[in-house]
Amino acid sequence: MGKIIAITGKGGTGKTTVSALIIRTLLENKSGAILAVDADPNSNLAEVLALKVEDTISSICEEMLREKDRLPAGMTKDRYLEYRIQESMVEKNSLSLFAMGRPEGPGCYCYVNNLLKGMIKDITDNYDFTVIDNEAGMEHLSRKTMRKIDILFVVSDFSIVGIRTASRIYKLACAMEIKLGKSFLIVNKSKDNHPALEKEVQDAGLALAGILPFDTGVEKFSLEGKSIFDLPKESGIVKSMNVILDKTVYNVRG
Amino acid sequence: MSKIIATKAIRGAHKIVERAEKELAKAKEAKGKDFAVSFPDTNYYLPLAYAMLGIKAARIGDLIEIMDYAKSLLPPLPSENLWLPYLGPTLDAGMATLFAEEVIEVLKYALDSSPTHDYWVGFTTDAILREQGIKLVDGRMPGFAAIVGAAPTNQEAVRIVRELQERSILVFLSAASNGKCIAEQLAEENVQMGWETFLVPHGRDITATVYALNFASRAAMTFGGIAPKSLKEARDILVYNKNRVHAFVLALGEVDDEKHANAAGAINFGFPALADTDIDQILPAGICKYEHVVSPVSLEKIVEKAIEVRGLKINVEKPDIPVSYGSAFEGERIRREQTTLEIGGKFSKAFEFLRMKNLEEVQNGRIEIVGPELAEFADGQAAPFAMVIDVAGRKMQKDFESVLERRIHTFLSEALGIMHTGQRNMVWTRVSKDARKSGLKFRHFGVILYSRYLHDFPSIVDKVQVTIYTKEEDVLRLIPEALKAFSERDTRIADMTDESVDVFYSCKLCQSYAPNHVCIISPERLGLCGAYSWLDGKAASEINPLGGNEPVLKGPCIDTEKGEWQGINDYLYNKSNKAFSRIGMYSIIDAPSTSCGCFECIVGFIPEANGVMIVNRGFSEMTPCGMKFSTLAGMVGGGQQVPGFIGVGRLYITSPKFISADGGFKRIVWMTKELKDTFGEQLKKRAQEIGEPDFIGTIADETQVTTAEELVAFLQKVSHPALSMPALM
Repeated sequence: MGKIIAITGKGGTGKTTVSALIIRTLLENKSGAILAVDADPNSNLAEVLALKVEDTISSICEEMLREKDRLPAGMTKDRYLEYRIQESMVEKNSLSLFAMGRPEGPGCYCYVNNLLKGMIKDITDNYDFTVIDNEAGMEHLSRKTMRKIDILFVVSDFSIVGIRTASRIYKLACAMEIKLGKSFLIVNKSKDNHPALEKEVQDAGLALAGILPFDTGVEKFSLEGKSIFDLPKESGIVKSMNVILDKTVYNVRG
Repeated sequence: MSKIIATKAIRGAHKIVERAEKELAKAKEAKGKDFAVSFPDTNYYLPLAYAMLGIKAARIGDLIEIMDYAKSLLPPLPSENLWLPYLGPTLDAGMATLFAEEVIEVLKYALDSSPTHDYWVGFTTDAILREQGIKLVDGRMPGFAAIVGAAPTNQEAVRIVRELQERSILVFLSAASNGKCIAEQLAEENVQMGWETFLVPHGRDITATVYALNFASRAAMTFGGIAPKSLKEARDILVYNKNRVHAFVLALGEVDDEKHANAAGAINFGFPALADTDIDQILPAGICKYEHVVSPVSLEKIVEKAIEVRGLKINVEKPDIPVSYGSAFEGERIRREQTTLEIGGKFSKAFEFLRMKNLEEVQNGRIEIVGPELAEFADGQAAPFAMVIDVAGRKMQKDFESVLERRIHTFLSEALGIMHTGQRNMVWTRVSKDARKSGLKFRHFGVILYSRYLHDFPSIVDKVQVTIYTKEEDVLRLIPEALKAFSERDTRIADMTDESVDVFYSCKLCQSYAPNHVCIISPERLGLCGAYSWLDGKAASEINPLGGNEPVLKGPCIDTEKGEWQGINDYLYNKSNKAFSRIGMYSIIDAPSTSCGCFECIVGFIPEANGVMIVNRGFSEMTPCGMKFSTLAGMVGGGQQVPGFIGVGRLYITSPKFISADGGFKRIVWMTKELKDTFGEQLKKRAQEIGEPDFIGTIADETQVTTAEELVAFLQKVSHPALSMPALM
């Protein structure tokens, strides 16, 4: 049973960059097989990781529900769905990725979600780490297709409002029917230290995992369509992430 | 029994009880007597203490009570002039040890140094107990092994657990010897641990051994239905374990006093201990069925010997293949970098096909590979693959073909190093590099299928032969025959009738928000969400017999017309929290089916028109019954019987059983344009089947009428048959 790491935060906080950076750091530390889950339909974790996704889980489910009259009657839907989902997974060395796609439309998803729950568990069980990039509302997690999160990182930008929002998102996460291990705050795009911000962090009710410095490189790279792996090893943000994972992922109980 | 072993066990018990006392005193001082203590997600308090003593421990003060009892059980260390200590005091010392260990472990949770971290799972929650424990008591899992300590080398550690996994024996791992726990050895070798692989690392502390026994105690309370009260019930729980839970202890490496004390505790449950080192034995018998403590047993033989001593029934014979085999490997995903060969999927043409043959046409056990073997394909290549399985048997029927073919997936997936997904000509298999190294060949695919079909279906399968084609021209040549058979099978399934089966399937997935709702799924009436066919229900119930789908025996028929059976009624009554005692499967008026809220469409009676309207989800305008979909949904959903209204899956509309008790298809007087458009072909086909090819034209939609009055006028104009049918209400 591997560790499940979920990342969430308001849009624009650099959550996807943080997710990708966590994945890069895990890979560079040879932490075994890594599964990346893109669960934010508004971002593109795959691209940042230099991977290309064709089908998302949602598109496969929807296609199955729409075309159900045309599926072979003798092949059950669980077998069909499993096949399609396994096929949709993108793989590169010890990294695999699948994308959840957009949240469910109208109609009933009880059946599909029930199937997904089992399949996603089976898949994640094969990886040492599963890293999930979530949107702020964590819609996919609240669908209960995931059973537990070992470590939750809430990402905030370098602002008072940002940290307050992170604290609210954290409270929402606690209210979800999902087993939640440890939770941490990551402050992203920091320019320097600020006492007012420090106080806000203390009040957030979330342990601070670390602060990632503002990095012009990241902006430049995303503009040029480069991947997270193109960031130089010595850049501050890469080094800071190493420290964060040492403190939280590699050395945490529970 | 010898004095040495009794002395060691009693001395170990003293050490552990003292440790528990100390830690408890410290906790009491820090947190006070009323500080809450509990294991996560359980209703059984400290399960072992609850089972044996009936103590519902929830606070530190209650732990003191448990420890007082443990101390009262603790015999003094045998003095020098006592030569023959009895078994009794040793067993008491064992129980005292377990009580003390449970206290130590629960304090870890209470004082925030949770034993659940990294791969260590610590306490087993009730949910997992219910899911896994049932397999132990109903025989699906032959038993469990509690391994304490570590093997001399990592390789031997892996080999021992693989041997246990292959026999579907659940393995609990705890304690260390020479500073190492076997779980750590397995982690170093990248062996996947967790409930799904049957390898459960409880903790590296010796006290974590108690989790195996508090699991066993709860199994007796949950599945044996024994409620703790007095000594009699405690004894019943132990006897239940002796008779029903086939467990044993494997003590690897040095067996210290504490391990002796734990072994003594396990003997109370009838669980014997085996050691690979030379320790004193307790041979026949009394508490355990056979020997109590056996040693020294060589590591090569220890699993076999344990099975013999505990009297385990292993019913899965391992097929003769060079890789490990067992249900623990079923969910294995082979990643691309681990893959040596791709078969099918996006990579090559492949299909699998099982067909019935006459007895004389099948040569039992013949496995033929036409084309290159696995070893002849280069690493990283894709192989064309056609796997044809011929099955013969005196009681074999054509209808069993698809049932048997579906099993290929499970049979192949259970081999370590084979990942199989899909079915028929939509199939994708990966073989791992490790499996190739172990010498796995295509031939072994045949061996697996041959031995499993004969073993799992002895009553219908007498002979099996497997032919595997690995040249593309052969695969392409054979596909048409398979496709033709698949399509014939599909037609047969689509034409299945409710009369042709004895069993329907239930669906209770939606009871979380409609607690009284139960879907009954039959071949001619799919689940109202439109997703679940009878076959899906059957597959789901086979995969997880305790899940949301159960087989329901129809039983005696009460009313053929309305679709009412005694068995279905009884089941409904039990599973709907006694809210409903009857269901008319084919009626919208008399005891119609309930709805959760997930329906694709709502069928509603319009009295003025003497017929029914059908509105699909997503239609937001007004309907002729004067209500919009959202209002109707609120009325029909939530798990109530509302005569005149039912929620249905779209495909049910064209079923011959569509409200057949109330006039059937011809009752439809109105439906949305969207339904007419997207579902037109099937509707037309159904109209032809009932001999009214022009019927669809007499059904109104929202572009023609919006109110009941307009609807009636329209129906009269087109002479809709419903107008001349008997009154529905």
